[in-house]
Amino acid sequence: MDTLLTAEANAGSPRYRRKSSTFVDAIHDLREKGHLAPAQLYSTESGRLFHAGRIVICTVGLPARGKTHISVALARYLRWLGVKTRIFHLGDYRRAIVGPGKDVPDDYFFVNASASSVLLRQKILKKCREDIYDFLNDQNGQIAIYDAVNPLSAGRKSLDKEFAKHGMKCLFIESSCDDQRIIEENVRSVKISSPDYHGWSEDEAVKHYLNRISAKIPHFETMEETDLDWIKMINAGERLVINNRSFGYLSHRIVFYLLNLHIKSRHTYFARAGVTLEEESFKADAPLSPQGVDYAKKMTDALLKHREEELQVLKEKAGPDAQLKPLIVWTSTRKRTVETSTFFAARGFQVRQRSQMSQLNPGVCEKKSERRIRAEYSEEVEKHDLDPYHHRFPRAESYHDVAVRLEPIILELEREQNDLLIIAHESVLRVLYGYLMACDASDIPFLSFPRDEIIEIIPASYNNEAKRIKIPDLPREIIPASPEGPKAAAPPSGFATPVPGLGNGMLSPWIKPGTPEPADGMKTPVGAKTPLGSGTGGKTPAEQAENDISIRIHDVV
Amino acid sequence: MASSMTATDTVDAKQVVLVMVGLPARGKSLISGKVKRYLQWTSVKAEIFNVGKYRREGTPHPDAKFFDAGNPEGEKARKAAAEAAVADMCNWLKDPSNKVAILDATNSTKSRRKWITERLEEARVAHLFVESKCDDEDLIMANILEVKTTSPDYVGQNPEEAAKDFRDRIKMYEKVYQTIDESEKNLTYVKVTNIGHQVVINRIQDYLQSRLVYFLTNLHIKPRSIWLSRHGESEYNLEGKIGGDANLSPRGFQYAKMLPELLRKSGLPKDAPLTVWTSTLKRTSQTAEHVVAELGWEKLPWKALDELDSGNCDGLTYAQIAEMYPEDFKARDDDKYNYRYRGGESYRDVVIRLEPIIMEIERSENILIITHQAIVRCIFAYFMQVDQSKSPWMEVPLHTLMKLTPKAYGTEVEKFKANIPAVSTWRPQGSQAKHHEAGEAEMVVGEPVKGVAGEVNGTKA
Repeated sequence: MDTLLTAEANAGSPRYRRKSSTFVDAIHDLREKGHLAPAQLYSTESGRLFHAGRIVICTVGLPARGKTHISVALARYLRWLGVKTRIFHLGDYRRAIVGPGKDVPDDYFFVNASASSVLLRQKILKKCREDIYDFLNDQNGQIAIYDAVNPLSAGRKSLDKEFAKHGMKCLFIESSCDDQRIIEENVRSVKISSPDYHGWSEDEAVKHYLNRISAKIPHFETMEETDLDWIKMINAGERLVINNRSFGYLSHRIVFYLLNLHIKSRHTYFARAGVTLEEESFKADAPLSPQGVDYAKKMTDALLKHREEELQVLKEKAGPDAQLKPLIVWTSTRKRTVETSTFFAARGFQVRQRSQMSQLNPGVCEKKSERRIRAEYSEEVEKHDLDPYHHRFPRAESYHDVAVRLEPIILELEREQNDLLIIAHESVLRVLYGYLMACDASDIPFLSFPRDEIIEIIPASYNNEAKRIKIPDLPREIIPASPEGPKAAAPPSGFATPVPGLGNGMLSPWIKPGTPEPADGMKTPVGAKTPLGSGTGGKTPAEQAENDISIRIHDVV
Repeated sequence: MASSMTATDTVDAKQVVLVMVGLPARGKSLISGKVKRYLQWTSVKAEIFNVGKYRREGTPHPDAKFFDAGNPEGEKARKAAAEAAVADMCNWLKDPSNKVAILDATNSTKSRRKWITERLEEARVAHLFVESKCDDEDLIMANILEVKTTSPDYVGQNPEEAAKDFRDRIKMYEKVYQTIDESEKNLTYVKVTNIGHQVVINRIQDYLQSRLVYFLTNLHIKPRSIWLSRHGESEYNLEGKIGGDANLSPRGFQYAKMLPELLRKSGLPKDAPLTVWTSTLKRTSQTAEHVVAELGWEKLPWKALDELDSGNCDGLTYAQIAEMYPEDFKARDDDKYNYRYRGGESYRDVVIRLEPIIMEIERSENILIITHQAIVRCIFAYFMQVDQSKSPWMEVPLHTLMKLTPKAYGTEVEKFKANIPAVSTWRPQGSQAKHHEAGEAEMVVGEPVKGVAGEVNGTKA
């Protein structure tokens, strides 16, 4: 499950004290657990980036243009950067106020709507706006993403004025498409999987859905306003047009991110590297052992078999000509990951080596047993246990260091249009998984990747989903996930784990230093949608609606 | 080797050519220079190929008529210059470690851009057109005034006449200028109108290109200055200790008190807002105290401006470090840029954490930055293109205010010394870990800075 929308669940957790002297870079600061962001470069007492102000990002665009996808992706990235961000889907408020199973009146989006529809519209807007004010004013929020159609120029201008009164800046992000194929693919992938369209042919369903939208929202004005701040994304990022009246640091950063984002859906797979001849040494950069080669072969077979099955499912659904997206493979420049990819290369898959994906450097812990590390660096171990994410042993890297150096990879990950297999050391997988699944930084060191599972991350516009693909017939001793910190240096052999899967990393009670494997209860049922509501304060309509995902699917907006 | 990890993304970066597009006086050279400086600072190899420089070899001081599209001789000479520049550039790109070439010329017609596209496709190099378009007369005039005083084309000429000739030259270009439009929608381009007020970004192909666009959208060319100072002398400075979060010494407080006066002396902009940036450590905010109180400027503390984290060595003197960690002491001397203190940071780490600050400096107007020795070195190195092997060794004396003013052809540096003695915290490469006694600072000479630095167009003003 995607934990993006539950990041405040830990707001009530105890405040950690600062680690050592005050001469510690912000990047080491121990803040409230809920405030730890994986790649946060600096922080302030308010929790806001001080010079960026409070921003309401308002989406603009007809349904099926990828607005929700952009909102969620942006929130994921902003939180990764340490910006307190929350999404407010107006559709959720609409559903909550109209009532489950019901739809808004037919003239709801019309320019000349009836008085009762206008009143309803205002009521819904007001409730959503109040929640935004509360988040930005009273909960130290910095960015609220207001996910709505916002089809009319006049409406956008009044929105800008309204938020300005509260000292908040508006940044409009329009997603616009003149390429019918992109729109149709969007409708196909996110809008018509509801029971309403059961038994329809895909083409018929797409047509029906699009007709419904044009009937419901007949008036739409693309953004031309010179006096507003806006970014227009055309055809899934092919072109960006920017009207910059008063862009600040974050707005520019958002442009940067959007330049790399596309709205096409593709899968990401994570696999560990095989075991090597010299498992405990970082510096040796050892080649794979025979067991490691065997693993590489079995992993390759398991993934390709899985993809073959996926292709069959797709063909049943979309016809015999359907194809999966091509698969490409990224490894680090370390021997073990490169060698693990050889069976893919031999079958003609493209393999790219990325130096930034090198594993966490253990520094002085190199080749030392846990006992020896505890004896020689007792003080460091103490600091490490307090903050395993930010602490670095002498000459070592912290997970935070890894996250910061992985940022280009994160942006390229967003840019990639093909299905992607990442073969890397567990420390790198933890951080990348933490980004894709919006884990709290403090949980990242404890994420567990047993070797007999390939993780598949399937994006959806609302949340990403993680699936596990079993690799059969592996010797037990190579399976265990490696533990974190001092324990990582010399992994115990023959340690059989009952690891059932990846916890979501947010609410897991099992996460504490030295507990590498999640409890059974945290298993996320594959394919199930889980409530995404935020944990703080009273339930907003957004949260209530999110509890009932099924009603949103057939809703037009 | 002390550091085994670097965080640059140069290994995978694909080569790209930035092709500038725009009329004269639209800030093309300024943008080219800034892009090169930014890339080099982040360890990406970049070079500018300025067609004007090639043209100047044959025609050092042309008049406006030379640039008339109807003047066949001028046209021929300018095309030859473009060809020579492109040929040199393609040659430079044959070395795969060279990453970003910048073709600095007007490239103001569709046919010229088509020719360049063909040449670069032949050479199989990705390219990104960067158009700077401006119809704000004030901005253009400000740019003309600056160019006429600094451009090599007008060296030794009457400024009035130079300005007139330059305006005539622009008119010649305006006659044939074609902005990038829908007919060129298959090009990869970024079109910036009125210094970033409207931007169109089309068909960006990879991550490095997106990062360049990000940088470009943060730039502006409004005149401004950046004042840079270390904090006043601290109690730790007196004891020769590094790191810590000590208070200012009495002389440090004297410097803080004198700073507003020193700033006034350095020439403050009239009616232009100024913001003060400090680190989160006491000694910088104490140094900013009087500036904020007397001049009423806004003060913003940045964690990213905190001093280089010396890890286990925090609070030690250099002599103690040399004694306790002799290997480290030597490793640091061998490669100071990459050396990472045990449990602390390297200069390379600092540059990475300062990148958002640099973006923010580029975006801002007048700022006073009060920070620490290593941080001043990194920021200074960015503006003055100081090499990584030298920047960690630069001497940055206490109680000295620097004023950096970006100009089209480089950055101007002025230094203002407060007449308040302070210890020197500068330790030259390979030297003993000796602590300089109070007052000795005056005796330490060695200025890394001379007037205007920064290479743009291969010329120095």
